[in-house]
Amino acid sequence: MAYNVLIVDDSKSMRKVILKTLRVSGFQLGECLEASNGQEALDVLEGRWIDLILSDVHMPVMDGFGFIRSLKQKDIFKDTPVVFVTTEASEDRLNELMALGASGYIRKPFRPEEIGAFLGGIMGETDGFRMGTSVEGSDF
Amino acid sequence: MGSEWEPVLKEVISEVLETMFFAVVEFEEGPPGDTPFDFESEIVLVNSDEKIVISLRVSEEFARMVTADFLGIGQDQAKNDDVEDTVKELTNMVGGLYHAKLNNAKWELGIPRVCKIDPGAPDDMDKNHAGLDFGFLGQPAGSAHLAHLPV
Repeated sequence: MAYNVLIVDDSKSMRKVILKTLRVSGFQLGECLEASNGQEALDVLEGRWIDLILSDVHMPVMDGFGFIRSLKQKDIFKDTPVVFVTTEASEDRLNELMALGASGYIRKPFRPEEIGAFLGGIMGETDGFRMGTSVEGSDF
Repeated sequence: MGSEWEPVLKEVISEVLETMFFAVVEFEEGPPGDTPFDFESEIVLVNSDEKIVISLRVSEEFARMVTADFLGIGQDQAKNDDVEDTVKELTNMVGGLYHAKLNNAKWELGIPRVCKIDPGAPDDMDKNHAGLDFGFLGQPAGSAHLAHLPV
């Protein structure tokens, strides 16, 4: 089964790195969508189905807090896993994101294998599927 | 805070560069030299009383190298936008990790900015900024500056 993923980050470079990390982690990637902030992400999601969202927190226009608040108000996305990939260091703010419905967070800087293992757990819990987490032989 | 920031910032820069950019830098002893660099990126941590401004200046050569490593492309494939965006993301991660090391919830991290340094323009770095130089493979690669300023 391939998963449709949305990557939300104001850094185009970081979006590319996350996408590459997913690929080398053995993640079964279906369609991959991108957005540069929360509002753009909401626009991209209009009329689409997505299995997993990876989002930054600090973004212009609409940050991660505004994004997850708006997203979780939509019935179709209220169970969609949202994982924040962020430089946010404040435990209080990270706990606030969890309270708003985030499935977890990964702090930057991260090692590729950490993302693979972490998302394996997230998708395993939500879909009964555990993806491969090995990065052996990867060219990352 | 005195010069307590210096070992923390060194640790943070090293961790970010090694983890995500596969680059190991060496820090120079003493104050920054006068090597001109090509890109400047800045991020601000702020609370109700003061702000911490962290600035990174890097050479074009170093910026292109870390961009290529970050994106997994050849240096000749790295476009100028890619380079600026990567330098900005480097600063973003340095600011975030510095915030984590401060271990103080009152600080909030801003959004980084980046610009190409005009070699003909006067250096407008605030004199309150303390700094340190770092090199890569024996060549000057960049400098990091930090200042505590009133809000």
